[in-house]
Amino acid sequence: MKTQTQTYSLNLGPQHPSTHGVFRIILELDGEFVVKATPVPGYLHRGIEKLAEARTYTQVIPYTDRMDYLAGMLMNWGYVMSVEKLMSLEIPERAEYIRVIVGELSRIASHMMSVGALGADLGALTAFTYTFRDREYVMDLLEMTSGSRMTFNYMRVGGVVKDFPPEFYPALKHFLSELPGMCDEYDGLLTGNEIFIARTKNIGIITPEMGINYSLSGPTIRGSGVNLDLRKTRPYSIYDRFDFQVPLGENGDCYDRFRLRIEEMRQSGKIIQQALEQIEEGPIMAKVPKIIKPPVGDVYTEIESSKGIYGSYLVSDGSTKPYRIHFRRPSFINLGYLGDLCKGWKLADVIAILGSIDIVLGEVDC
Amino acid sequence: MFGKGLVKGLKITWKRMLGKKQTVKYPFTKIEMFPRFHGRFVIDPDKCISCGLCVNACPNKVIQLEKQKVGTKQYLTKYTMKIEYCLFCGLCVEVCPKDAINFSEIIDMNQYRREWVTLKMVDRDAPVETIDDNALIDSSSSHKEG
Amino acid sequence: MLESIFIEIADIIRYWFLDLGTPELLTEIILMLIKLSAILGFIIVNALWLVYMERKVAAYIQSRIGPIHTGPKGLLQTAADILKLMGKEIILPDGINRIIFILMPILIFVPPLMTWAVIPFGRDMTAVDIDMGVFYILAVGSLSTIIFWAAGWASNNKYSLIGGMRVVAQMVSYELPLVLGLLGVVMISGSLNLNQIVIAQDNVWFIFTQPIAFLIYLIAGISETNRAPFDLVEGESEIIAGPYTEYSGMGFALFFLAEYANMMVVSAVCTVMFLGGWLAPFGMDFIPSWVWFFLKMYFIIFLFMWIRWTYPRMRVDHLMAFGWKVLVPLSLANIFVTGACIYIFRGIGW
Repeated sequence: MKTQTQTYSLNLGPQHPSTHGVFRIILELDGEFVVKATPVPGYLHRGIEKLAEARTYTQVIPYTDRMDYLAGMLMNWGYVMSVEKLMSLEIPERAEYIRVIVGELSRIASHMMSVGALGADLGALTAFTYTFRDREYVMDLLEMTSGSRMTFNYMRVGGVVKDFPPEFYPALKHFLSELPGMCDEYDGLLTGNEIFIARTKNIGIITPEMGINYSLSGPTIRGSGVNLDLRKTRPYSIYDRFDFQVPLGENGDCYDRFRLRIEEMRQSGKIIQQALEQIEEGPIMAKVPKIIKPPVGDVYTEIESSKGIYGSYLVSDGSTKPYRIHFRRPSFINLGYLGDLCKGWKLADVIAILGSIDIVLGEVDC
Repeated sequence: MFGKGLVKGLKITWKRMLGKKQTVKYPFTKIEMFPRFHGRFVIDPDKCISCGLCVNACPNKVIQLEKQKVGTKQYLTKYTMKIEYCLFCGLCVEVCPKDAINFSEIIDMNQYRREWVTLKMVDRDAPVETIDDNALIDSSSSHKEG
Repeated sequence: MLESIFIEIADIIRYWFLDLGTPELLTEIILMLIKLSAILGFIIVNALWLVYMERKVAAYIQSRIGPIHTGPKGLLQTAADILKLMGKEIILPDGINRIIFILMPILIFVPPLMTWAVIPFGRDMTAVDIDMGVFYILAVGSLSTIIFWAAGWASNNKYSLIGGMRVVAQMVSYELPLVLGLLGVVMISGSLNLNQIVIAQDNVWFIFTQPIAFLIYLIAGISETNRAPFDLVEGESEIIAGPYTEYSGMGFALFFLAEYANMMVVSAVCTVMFLGGWLAPFGMDFIPSWVWFFLKMYFIIFLFMWIRWTYPRMRVDHLMAFGWKVLVPLSLANIFVTGACIYIFRGIGW
């Protein structure tokens, strides 16, 4: 007699502890093996792009915070950069340095979250709390400057809102001196852990070709060894003044993607250190008219966000409100490969792969 | 390999177990907020000139402002913030020319009923003849300070 | 005095009943029931305490404070939690097998209770002293597999089903190294009676003569209790809560407490088999034997908690590979070496 097995579908999410929010994957499982995975995003869609059309250029900024709420500063930055490019504004030196510092702090916070969340997805809850604890320091620093812990609304077209308060500098220096130790702790708890290595090494391999074909970016593609970091390859703002390395992976597996993020935190610390040394007194806001009215036209700018290339495409009809904004959200684009990537792996690996891609649902669904 | 990483992890957690605790006993000990913290809004009705810039600056149309002309000046009679729609972006604070609206350090804005969430900050009648400099804010309508 | 406090209490009750004119057989039965209910009470109180301890250990490892408000030092926190869970509705989802669904959380306490009955708490302190102790414990201990599996099956939920299947796969494959690991101890002591095994450790604890068996037992024991890094069964980031996904209210609370009861059993057996049970180390006899037993047991439990809050979860195929390819051969080798050593030492004339 021939026994027949049957595949069954498992609905992972939208209410699931490790889909990082309200994300849904419909899995077709054969035992524990994934036959087919269908990602279903959209549960957190708020229509930010549409909302922006009814807001003035300044009023859009707080909405960009809500996309990647783990790295709000970078989201602000990407948007204001596009408006500035359209208006051909010259940003003051100090404002650029402040943007670099808060942007890199945001990147550190986002990577900490990502590192911890992958740990929690794989069951190491202590690593998760450690990264959360350390992320508090970053959020304290950003709260000192902007007043908010996550949704900052700190950057404006032409500069930033406020200068650093005096108590910011000692606190930042203290944090920078602690940062390598924190990274060592994550390394000790996760990166060097045999169980963790077994769970992530050679899992969910993205080949460089497939990564490029699927237009992946950020640590997700750098894990495959593709040197694509806009801060280095196409320096925007003042990133050409800093000396830092772009860590690259070799295999393109979950382990490489994870390891990169810890490395990037260290590099971000280096960038902040250099920015602190180079920063000079000066104005923090360019001469911008009270009512922002960019000329008619369209513009596309890209920055390297913590998840990948964050682009914003802006069409202006010459009024005070944008005619159309489109955000290229890296999490969303990176997620496009998930369906194919999960095929053939186990149920537990799906969680690891999803965690290693590092998505933020606010950004995915926008 | 062969358990070296496992032992290292145990060492780290052991060290942390004996180390300093990072959390505080929250309701009893509170962390001091930074001066720029975005807490509950406070308005100084004497400074306000009812220009309405904050109303226009708000991305979510949170602020409702009513004014009445007394003599040559605009007199603020009602200032309501539908705080349930507020993004706490601070654009209203930033735009205020007279520094009348500000953030405070109050964080507990939770209420038992939805209608109480709305922040009625100023609710008063305009003086009939002259402007009373010491016009009091009638705060009896807000159910809970905070 | 303190040493034999429980024995004296038992004697007082026995003579009290005999004075009333109760037949001797009935007295023994009543006494046995009292002992068992005392053990049940002990297990439940201890499980509550262990939940508190786990939360405190987890908090301290994660540089937090942990429960502090309910009762002195937060000691009543778990009791409050259980009370809250008792007050909750037990939701019966559609399409479940009602009888099994309701029965399983009740039965889950049976295996730990049955196991505790034979474990020697202290000198001459065993509720039921049987010669097949080790064998009995292993047989009863694997019963809980069926309960977890049935709970997962009855829930009519795919996550529960996956969890239930994982329980069977994991527990069955880790039962083998567990048994083979304990075999080394049995070979040295030459007895299956737990009291005899404890007494056999008078000179040297078996952890020193059987370190590999101890390690194997510890790993397999963690796996038996479904705790991290082997908590695939309830791995909350993959399959929500495994077999307990559909349980709410007291049903969930019972499963939750049963985990700790199982943990107690595993660490108590570990204490008896490897750490000299109630024997006092370095001749420190002034502390009663049962205190020693609990100290050692809690040490093992702490070790479990420490491990849980440090490691990530294993994957199901790694778990199987580790069990069958590493632990089983290792335990077989251990048996071989132990047997050879016993033969050699006997030849020397030790």
